[in-house]
Amino acid sequence: MASPLNDATLAERELVRAAKAGSNDAFAALVRLHQRRAYAVARAIVLSHEDAEDAVQDGFLHAYRALDRFIPDQSFGAWLNRIVSNAALDLVRRRKVREADALPDAVALPFRDPAESGELRDRLSGALTRLTARQRAVIVMHDLEGFTHGEIGATLGIPEGTARSDLHHARAALRRLLQDLRNRP
Amino acid sequence: MTDHRFASRDQLDAPVVDAIRDLLAPPGGEGYWSELESSIMARIGSSDLGWWGELTNWARPALVAAAVLIITATAAMLHWQQAVAELPYDNVVATGSPLPLPDELTVRPVAQGDREATLRFLFAY
Repeated sequence: MASPLNDATLAERELVRAAKAGSNDAFAALVRLHQRRAYAVARAIVLSHEDAEDAVQDGFLHAYRALDRFIPDQSFGAWLNRIVSNAALDLVRRRKVREADALPDAVALPFRDPAESGELRDRLSGALTRLTARQRAVIVMHDLEGFTHGEIGATLGIPEGTARSDLHHARAALRRLLQDLRNRP
Repeated sequence: MTDHRFASRDQLDAPVVDAIRDLLAPPGGEGYWSELESSIMARIGSSDLGWWGELTNWARPALVAAAVLIITATAAMLHWQQAVAELPYDNVVATGSPLPLPDELTVRPVAQGDREATLRFLFAY
């Protein structure tokens, strides 16, 4: 027997219905609900804040224009994150074409406060640039944002099992890159 | 069926997760989210103009095409006017030989002298 829909899901469906009917206030409420996760997904893929912001804005704009094609039974968040991750992956592809292998140098992660930056942050910043966009995405989605493997698969357009193995290999790669830091006394 | 080969026992350490979260957080703290929402809604508002918006999307390429067309047409017209202006000079200066005339208009100098002499002889009497 299907589980009853919770209040949050029903409220979201109502917002989607109102947005489809032309309410910008309803769409703004959907933006408020989903922009943080959308930003996290995009930022994990593109790394730089500016590109992540572009991908999120492009994603929401595409979603707004495609609202008529959205099927109300599905999760708006999953649908939106799929659009945002596609926009982010597209940015990465275009950047790769432009800059060939210069990605690690070109996308240095800025520290908001240099005084706070410890060695872990420095090493992590370098290590994240060495992971692939998909590896970063699965780590951030699962370990930071709490996506299930199924949700990760739906967002990135890969089978759930692939999302699970990607996460395993991404964590292993990150551990290898931080190994000497962990082994230090 | 769940694939147990990649069980979640290999989770990252909490300090690593916290550091990633810190690294990938947007600048500006909580205030950033209202700014982002405003930016998104502003973009949607500017694109939400129906057929007029579509027209606006086409305006820039159309302006470029029109400018190229005008420049090309102007250049062609100037070139044509210059060619027309130079045509008489070309006919006079560039062609070294006189213009060809029909045979019936051609005056034979030798015959002309004979004819005049004959006419003078006839009118004299």
